Amino acid sequence: MSELAFLSASEISRAFAQKKLSPVELTQALLARIEHLQPTLHAFIRIDGDAALDAARVAEREITAGRIRGPLHGVPIGLKDIIDVAGLPTTAHSRVLIDNIAKSDAVVTAKLRQAGAVILGKLSTHEFAIGGPSHDLPWPAARNPWNPDHHPGGSSSGSGAGLAGGLFPLALGSDTGGSVRNPASACGIVGLKPTYGLVSRRGVFPLSFTLDHIGPMTRNVADNALLLDCIAGHDPEDPGSAASQARHFGRELGLSVKGLRIGFIRHFHETDMPAHPEVTAALEIVERVLEAEGALVGTVKLPSLAEFSAVNRVILTSEAWAIHAKWLREQPENYGELARQRLMPGAFIPAGDYINAQRRRLTMIEAVNAALRKYDVLMCASSMDPASNIHDAVETARTYPRQARTPFNVTGHPALAMGAGFSSAGLPLSVQFIGRYFADATVLRVAAAFEQVTVWHMRRPPLG
Amino acid sequence: MDEDLFRALVRAAGLERTFGKFPDDVRVAVEQALRTAGAIPVPENPTAEPWPPMRAGTGL
Repeated sequence: MSELAFLSASEISRAFAQKKLSPVELTQALLARIEHLQPTLHAFIRIDGDAALDAARVAEREITAGRIRGPLHGVPIGLKDIIDVAGLPTTAHSRVLIDNIAKSDAVVTAKLRQAGAVILGKLSTHEFAIGGPSHDLPWPAARNPWNPDHHPGGSSSGSGAGLAGGLFPLALGSDTGGSVRNPASACGIVGLKPTYGLVSRRGVFPLSFTLDHIGPMTRNVADNALLLDCIAGHDPEDPGSAASQARHFGRELGLSVKGLRIGFIRHFHETDMPAHPEVTAALEIVERVLEAEGALVGTVKLPSLAEFSAVNRVILTSEAWAIHAKWLREQPENYGELARQRLMPGAFIPAGDYINAQRRRLTMIEAVNAALRKYDVLMCASSMDPASNIHDAVETARTYPRQARTPFNVTGHPALAMGAGFSSAGLPLSVQFIGRYFADATVLRVAAAFEQVTVWHMRRPPLG
Repeated sequence: MDEDLFRALVRAAGLERTFGKFPDDVRVAVEQALRTAGAIPVPENPTAEPWPPMRAGTGL
């Protein structure tokens, strides 16, 4: 069973085509594993086993008849529970939306169905993708497969936990201040925040309109490119959707990084927010590995993390307040404490501060663009610490904001976080790569080059 | 913060009911907002444009 649980989407697709494995067999095996591990990992809010098996049977008939839709046909996936699946509740892990049945599929859900993917169910999140690991919600917080006493990161917590735990090979998350890349870092998987506007947000419950991104989460880089291929594309009904024709995000996989110029933003983790020594050591190893592969690594200076973080916070809380004001006034008791505290500050931020944050944002975009004219890709820390103990609220509150992900929500550049080793306590360490607008394929190329010559992605968590 | 000013802000935000039920959470929110005030520099050029650019239909 463990062998099936950790197959990649590419391996699954190949095994289906060779008739060595069937979609129904795989879905049944994963549903059994989910049932076994759900009491430990709490990755799911809702397991949709019957619908998943129905979809797997359809996929099996089509594949057997030679009508293969593509590389995700029959491949199981989990969706963060802010993404609409017609007929299922989209709860955002909140009592506020406990009876919110989606009338139609989100655009990304419809694209996955069209590709023949098998939707296993809806995954845990921080409440409304902002609340943090909470213990006063209708469902428990997800746990880290590498050590269930630890936080799996968030807000796409169930996505990260389920991938690392071998519950599914693919997942979708959302990223407004780092919520795809945080669980990718904490769980040692691959999470991409694509270029802003590359993936439609329609049918996904918003947190902050100008910062929200939907992103693919996987156990390896090639699968991440496959999933992005499926969900990317212009959506004329999403006002933030980019009129980009970017496609075939795996086209650069397998190319070496020889001669590629990589700008290392060292001040993020060295002086702005000094990282845990094991994180710093891991980043130095990443630098040496890429240099050994022929990349030309230089040093980049950007505005400080504190500046990026302030801009992100003002924009996020202002926009989130606009979404939640009515409910926070009328039914505050239906929110958990953390979400209530984090969603209300926007009520007290003047409109002028919001506009000034958006003005500062433009200069930050220019700063990152300038760095990316000199370098092909940037690299920096993702999380400054290994995952905190989830029972230690003080430590979780201290470490949660210690990260370098928000800069690229502010600027909209594609940014990928992935495992880059393990701490002495056996918890994943991570690195982040950033690229030019719509050069998501180049970001994936660098990540794949690092993955290819390292072994971290082959390690499995000590689960039963 | 001056308590009268605090109460006035809560009233202006329409959060009196919420404050009645969760006074500590509202205070935390106000404190967070106050910490943010002044963190964003005002551009020297008063005509500086914000992001996103006002370009219809083109996206990034």
